[in-house]
Amino acid sequence: MIETHLDSAAQQSALRYINTGTKLILALGSLILCLISPSPVVPLISGIVLSLVLLIPGRTSPRIYAEVLLGPAIFTVMSIVVLLFLLGGGDVIWRFNPVPWINLAITSGSLRQSMLVLCRVFGCSISLFFIVLTTPVTDLFDGMKRIGIPIELIDLMMITYRYIFIVCAQAVEIFQAQVMRLGYSRPVEAVRSFSMLCGMLFISSWNAGEDLVRAMDCRCYDGIFPSLDFAEPMQMRSLIPVILYLAGLGGLLLAMTAGGAL
Amino acid sequence: MSRIILEAREVRYRYAGGREAIKGISFHMRRGEKIALVGPNGAGKSTLLQMFNGMIRPTSGTMLFDNEPIQYDTSSLRRLRKRVGYVLQNADRQIIAPTVYQDVAFGPANLGYNETAIRQAVALALRQVGLVGFERRPPHQLSGGEKKRVAIAGVLAMDPDVLVFDEPTSGLDPSGSEDLMELLDELNHDGKTIVISTHDVELAYPWAERAILLADGQIIKEDVPDVAFGNPTYVRMAHLSVPTLLELSSELAKRGFAIPGRKPRSVLDMVHIIESHLHGSCSPAAPGTITVCNVDDTETSCIPPWVEARPGIVVGAMGTRAKQCAAQEQVALEFTYGVIDKCILRALRGQDSLILTTGSMVGRVAARVEAYCTESGNRVGMAGLNISEQSPATGISDGAMKKDDPYGGKP
Repeated sequence: MIETHLDSAAQQSALRYINTGTKLILALGSLILCLISPSPVVPLISGIVLSLVLLIPGRTSPRIYAEVLLGPAIFTVMSIVVLLFLLGGGDVIWRFNPVPWINLAITSGSLRQSMLVLCRVFGCSISLFFIVLTTPVTDLFDGMKRIGIPIELIDLMMITYRYIFIVCAQAVEIFQAQVMRLGYSRPVEAVRSFSMLCGMLFISSWNAGEDLVRAMDCRCYDGIFPSLDFAEPMQMRSLIPVILYLAGLGGLLLAMTAGGAL
Repeated sequence: MSRIILEAREVRYRYAGGREAIKGISFHMRRGEKIALVGPNGAGKSTLLQMFNGMIRPTSGTMLFDNEPIQYDTSSLRRLRKRVGYVLQNADRQIIAPTVYQDVAFGPANLGYNETAIRQAVALALRQVGLVGFERRPPHQLSGGEKKRVAIAGVLAMDPDVLVFDEPTSGLDPSGSEDLMELLDELNHDGKTIVISTHDVELAYPWAERAILLADGQIIKEDVPDVAFGNPTYVRMAHLSVPTLLELSSELAKRGFAIPGRKPRSVLDMVHIIESHLHGSCSPAAPGTITVCNVDDTETSCIPPWVEARPGIVVGAMGTRAKQCAAQEQVALEFTYGVIDKCILRALRGQDSLILTTGSMVGRVAARVEAYCTESGNRVGMAGLNISEQSPATGISDGAMKKDDPYGGKP
């Protein structure tokens, strides 16, 4: 399952042991620059650079990276096709009349806007995937605690994160048991089986919740959920390249803005 | 301090639905004992276990800990649960935190330990269960056996006196089960009182010092395992089966192969009974030697060349650290459970073996070999492997013992 792959990839990333704050500065900085850029060049460069960082020093598996990108890529391409015909302005580049009363046209304006959206989505997605593929969620919890997010909220998130995998595994088991007994062979059966799956999941989650309370009581729960506290210190040798990179990207953005965006 | 640590006096428990799960049970357990609660599904084992740390309050009757009736107010329960650790059947339900470190630290943190003490408790618990280096791993990436060990470490970190295990080997493969039972032995050797519930008679019979047969919420029989399991009537009443060793022993006894007043607890005992009848003794002219290596005191990199220099020798490991050491030095292990008995069996065939173990367990090896030699009259050689010539634990050096010294290894 993709969520398990993502978690494993983050655990095994060579960039895992770089300070979470440094990685967040890089990812969020790139994300903001991609969002505010009036030109597709900045998001494009950001996406390519972060991808290379993920694949080469980060040693992320290219297959997993491609799998991760595939979902957003399909969704983006479909959206861009719609935008190409929806937006207007400029000269008509290509016209398509499937029937006389429908006039579909791609203009230079729609092409420019669509390319900008495409590159922004590309750059922003990769900024987020950079965090997802290099930083396990458990390290993020630690970072959240440091920046002052309420501890109760973080405790709840940690328990939720822990149980996502248990509930997913149970859902898969129930689904497989249903498939083995032809539960999804016909549409009516499929609807019935799916509703049973949801019901069973609810009941087992309820039981798991009761067991959780028991397990916490057994270990003298008194409102304390320990944190990992294994955060790597922020190191200049990783922070300086990040700042230089973001400054360069910001400079390029300013130059593009001053010179009139493409 | 009293030897009795936990006691039940005429306890009963009725679930909200009206079913009476425990029907007037009385028993006690002493410090340092290994007890197996054995019974079929629905016998009330888990319900009874949950009374030990106050998770369930008896409907009537009294549970006592350290000769004091258990109190059910919050602070008393906290004190009780610190001293009685409970490991659930399903490790996934017991592991509540997103990383191994956080889960093991959960108990100490809630007991109010400071940060240094928490780190020390976690490090020690992970070392005991052999999971050093797993601190940042998320539980969903662990195997079933590793999850079970994390669950045990979470309880060990609170340093309880009594460890209660509900079906400890459920969901584990045979090798994982053997490793776990070996770990329970190790913990018991370190002074913990261990109680397990199981319906696996083959597991409980050789392991337990005392067995309690339960059925339908009542105790059918409480005694040493060969008595508790040796009576087919009790076993039938408890919906169990007679352990294979006892059944075989019973059949052989009918054919004249028996030693009066003695029932086999292990393959070694059984072999001794058969060989005694066939040859009068099972000791060969030149018995093999059991060499004991204390990995805490030995330069472990010297073990592989030592083994390679002795073709035909097999290696067994007792204890988590010894097994880790073997894995680290890439020493192939033949035995990981019931190691001493298996090595004695080899020695009786005139073959040599090496046992890797830790400081506290060296004495146990020597004691077991000595007990066997005294009881059987056979001779088994023992030697200490120490590259630096002298083993502090055994006080003997490599090859210093004569092969026929029955008390080898004893200072």
